[in-house]
Amino acid sequence: MLDAHAIVLSPFETLVLNLSLLAVVAWSMWKAEKSLDSGNDLTILALITIFAITGRILLEPLPNVQPVTVVVLLVGIHYGATRSIGVATIIAITSNLVMGHGLWTFYQALGWALVGITGAVLSQSLRVDDKISVPRVAGVSFVVAFAFDWVVSVSVLHTLPLETLPVYILAGLPFDLVHGVGNVAFAAWLAEPISDIMTRHSTSREVVVSPVKSSS
Amino acid sequence: MSDKLRLGSIALLATVLLLLPFIRDSVNEEVARFVSDSESSHVGLPNEWDENQAICIYFPVEHPHPVYSSGVSMINADGSMIGVNYDLNLTGACVGGFEGYTDGMNFMMDATRVAGGHLAVGYFVNPNWGEFVHTIGGLNDQEVQGDFNGAYWSLTHNGRYSVVGIGSLVMEEGDVISWNIETW
Repeated sequence: MLDAHAIVLSPFETLVLNLSLLAVVAWSMWKAEKSLDSGNDLTILALITIFAITGRILLEPLPNVQPVTVVVLLVGIHYGATRSIGVATIIAITSNLVMGHGLWTFYQALGWALVGITGAVLSQSLRVDDKISVPRVAGVSFVVAFAFDWVVSVSVLHTLPLETLPVYILAGLPFDLVHGVGNVAFAAWLAEPISDIMTRHSTSREVVVSPVKSSS
Repeated sequence: MSDKLRLGSIALLATVLLLLPFIRDSVNEEVARFVSDSESSHVGLPNEWDENQAICIYFPVEHPHPVYSSGVSMINADGSMIGVNYDLNLTGACVGGFEGYTDGMNFMMDATRVAGGHLAVGYFVNPNWGEFVHTIGGLNDQEVQGDFNGAYWSLTHNGRYSVVGIGSLVMEEGDVISWNIETW
């Protein structure tokens, strides 16, 4: 009897399959966004969160390459610290339902929340003439990759003594590097389109900097 | 500018991913230097192993090994039994008297084989993170349950928690590795 579950994919075939699935998700969301009324930033937050969760799960075959860090950074830049903290926590919990939930989820949520806060704080300097500066976002995303990984590494202090932390961080450096370079790639490809979408659907930013328009 | 960054970043990512195993190997050799102190790790082991490599497996009180259930049995590399150390307040077995191993996984598989199946190792391989040991001597970490989230076989290298997995562990002469169940 034919049983599709019996087909075992090689790591490379899995990666190709997952990249195709992720492309479908990204494409359909890209299309869906076109027909959205502007000003609906919570919808965009929901879509972008789902994209990050899907991306993290599907890119698991590649070590430490995932779009979450760049997405959370962009949310921080466009929608501020509070929302990026929410998005960071939801992404960490939800993707870990598949990838494995444990004490580390707290540190991942904390790490990504700090990335979002960094984006919010640097929001002005990451723009040039009110448009996102892709090279600057790429640079920051490279640096925060290491910061995020080290925050998560601190969680080993629950099981290892303090003096092993530097060695543990040293052993993780190759993976930090992959995370950083992956972030640069995601920033190069996603920062501009995601930033455009977020700008089109940004109510909160205007509300923050200028008085709410009075409705008659 | 942005097109250059796009293509360049993909090329760079592909290069780093391809070079990752080599980068990891060189970093892991550095890491091994931090745990090269192997004096105290031989305490409790037979004196004739002092300059040699050894592996110890310790079983939790609730899940004693069917054979090595009392004290720690000392098994020589040639398969002969040296004795049992009852003073360690642990139960399990050590296999020692090896030399020349550099690859942790090779060493573990060869050394545990000396015990003739009593210390059989079960592991699976994650393409990115390497070998993950789930069973030693018939005890699967999933079987260990209690007032905690979960249990796993934890690796110690010369008396210190190993920061790399057994598949990445670089061994030197006189090194002692040991496994025991930890909970989280």
